[in-house]
Amino acid sequence: MIAGVDYRQRHFEDVAEGEALVGAGDEITYRRVIMNPGATLDYFPGHHDPEYARSQGQPTIFVNTMHVMGFVDRLVAEWGGPRTFLVRRRVTLRASVYAGDTMVGSGRVLATRHEERDGRRRHLVDLEVTVDNQRGERCATGAVTVALPGRGDGEGTRPWWPPGG
Amino acid sequence: MSGRSPTGYDIATGTYEQARAMVGQTTPVRFGEEAVNGAMARQFAALVHDASAGYWDPEFAEGWWGGTVAPPAMLMTWLMPLEWRPGGAVPVPLLTARVPLPGDTFVNASNETEYFLPVCEGDRLNVVEELVDVSPEKRTALGTGHFVTTKSTVRRQDGAVVAVMTNVLFRFSAGATP
Repeated sequence: MIAGVDYRQRHFEDVAEGEALVGAGDEITYRRVIMNPGATLDYFPGHHDPEYARSQGQPTIFVNTMHVMGFVDRLVAEWGGPRTFLVRRRVTLRASVYAGDTMVGSGRVLATRHEERDGRRRHLVDLEVTVDNQRGERCATGAVTVALPGRGDGEGTRPWWPPGG
Repeated sequence: MSGRSPTGYDIATGTYEQARAMVGQTTPVRFGEEAVNGAMARQFAALVHDASAGYWDPEFAEGWWGGTVAPPAMLMTWLMPLEWRPGGAVPVPLLTARVPLPGDTFVNASNETEYFLPVCEGDRLNVVEELVDVSPEKRTALGTGHFVTTKSTVRRQDGAVVAVMTNVLFRFSAGATP
C-alpha cells in the first residue's frame, strides 16, 4: 500500500438508490489551467492564452472538456473506488470553468441493475452528476454508468467486456 | 479553402452547404503518436487530483487492470497529433477542424463516451472519426454558428474497440451575434 493512494472499494451490494456523492471543492488556479494543455495535449488557445479567450467573448482562459470529464471521473472514483469500471459518461457543458474558479462536484445514485451476456453478469450503477462553480452556477451536468465488483464475484471476474454480442 | 485561424489550428472555412455535403464521411485510420504510458497517465491524474490506485500503484494496477491504467477522460490525448516534427510537417487536424464552415473558432458543447475495455500501459490506440451531423445556424450567448457532431471509434492494436465517443462542438465566429 502506498500512502495517500485510494484503495477503498465500494461493492455493488453497498449501494443504495438515492445515495449522494459528495465531492471536494477544487480550486482551478491559472497554474492548473496551464497544466491542462500539457497533460492533455490540447493546445486550443482558449486554454492557455487569456488574450485569445477574451477575443472569444470569455473573461479568461478556461479548462477543457477532458479536464471537466476527469473531474467527474474523480468524483465517481472517490465514491466507488479503484476497481470501478466506467461504462458510459455523458457530459453537457453549460458554462466554462475559468482560471480563478472553484469546481464543486456532486452526484446521486439513480438506479442499480444487472447486465448479462454469454453467461456473464455485471453490476451496474447509474448516476447523475453536476459540476458547479463557487458562485453556484451550473457548469456541467452528466450521466454516468459504472460497473462495480460484487461480493459474490469469482476471483478472476472483471466488470468489462468487448462491444457487440 | 483553409487557413491558419487565430486558434493556431488549420481550420477549413466554407459554407453550411459544403459542411452538410461532408456528413457521413469517415477519416482514414489515424494512429496515436505514443504507446499508452504511466508517465502521461499520472500527469493527467495529477491535473485532476485523482488518487485512484490504478494510476499510482503498479502492483495494484497489474492485479486488477492488467497494467497501469489510463484515466478514461484522457482517451483523446493518446490520439493528439504532435505539434511539431523535424522537417516541419504540419499535423493532420482533427475532423472537427476540417469541416468547412464560416466560424473561425469553437467551443465544446457535449461529449458522450461509452467504454468497453480498459486502456493500459503499452496499448497503441488508433481512431476513425465520422462526421455525424452539422446543425443549421444557431445563435448562442457566444455568437452565431453551427453544432458539429462527430463520432470517434477508438481501437487497440489488436483491433478491439475500446471506446466510442460522440462529441458535439459549437463552431462559431466570436461576437457575430446579429
